[in-house]
Amino acid sequence: MALLGAIDSGDASAFRCAFDSLCTEMDSGLLPELKRITAKAQSALARFSAEARLDALAGHEVPDARKRLTHVVKLTDEAAHRTLDLVELCGPLVDEASRGAAQLLDSRNLPQWPSRAEEFLDRTRRDADKLRAYLSELLMAQGYQDITGQIIRSVISLVDELERVLGKLVQIAEGIEVTSLVRSLPTPTNWEKGLGPQVAGIANGDAVAGQDDIDALLSQMAAGK
Amino acid sequence: MSSNLKFLVVDDFSTMRRIVKNLLQELGYSDITEADDGNTALPLLKGGAFDILITDWNMPGMPGLDLLKAVRADERLAKLPVLMLTAEAKREQIIEAAQAGVSGYVIKPFTAVTLKEKLDKILASRAAA
Repeated sequence: MALLGAIDSGDASAFRCAFDSLCTEMDSGLLPELKRITAKAQSALARFSAEARLDALAGHEVPDARKRLTHVVKLTDEAAHRTLDLVELCGPLVDEASRGAAQLLDSRNLPQWPSRAEEFLDRTRRDADKLRAYLSELLMAQGYQDITGQIIRSVISLVDELERVLGKLVQIAEGIEVTSLVRSLPTPTNWEKGLGPQVAGIANGDAVAGQDDIDALLSQMAAGK
Repeated sequence: MSSNLKFLVVDDFSTMRRIVKNLLQELGYSDITEADDGNTALPLLKGGAFDILITDWNMPGMPGLDLLKAVRADERLAKLPVLMLTAEAKREQIIEAAQAGVSGYVIKPFTAVTLKEKLDKILASRAAA
């Protein structure tokens, strides 16, 4: 009203005064309200994003993590048994070489010594070849650490993300302003950095069944060039 | 067999690097250098005359696919044989690696026989080139 009166009367000073008063009124009422609504909308979006992510984590990724860890237990169990089997196979070979050498030394003055020595050397050479093969298998059996390590790292990433999502939800509940979440776990469509080993029962896109499949795929590609 | 070839083995797991190194030694190769990801491997490759690169895919820092692309993009390294030794099994990944110029692809867990076969194949192609 004061503004309209100032316009009608042509009083520039009164107009400026009325206009400034209106602006102050807007600053103290409308703008804080707008800010409050924007913050509320941002908070709702962040809450929605956190809840949606928590839903996906609880619905799929945590059960998948359980399958991954079960697979780790299976792999470590198999590798430990394979290692123990091989140690048990190596032991008698070494014992036999030691016993045979001792017997040979004891019989060095006997007339049968040359034939016994030849027999011992022949057997020891064959056993040494077996030992070498068992040692190679022992070496390969340790490959489980790389596979299980990759799986465990993916579960650690999951736990990290779960912690972050829950932390955001707590902040939202306490009325603390939060930024929206960025998904950190790899997805089957985001494979450039690597997805890790295949685990039975977990869908990971279109995976090959083994080395033969890879060789066939690469041969097809080479033939199509 | 030329046992004086120079290998670079790249894997973030030291156990796997030791396994590959031991297998290579069993095959008669003794000049083997190790790196734990693409970022540490690339300067080594640029600085040394390596004959073969064996690399994992899934590594923190620079993954194996990026290392392969960096090697192929470098004029002096472009023809270096690269064997990917990885647990990555998605068909799209294998196709991508092949398109990026990988020389061989071995899936983990692997056998000593498979590694030898792929190495022999790579070395035969290298000798024929």
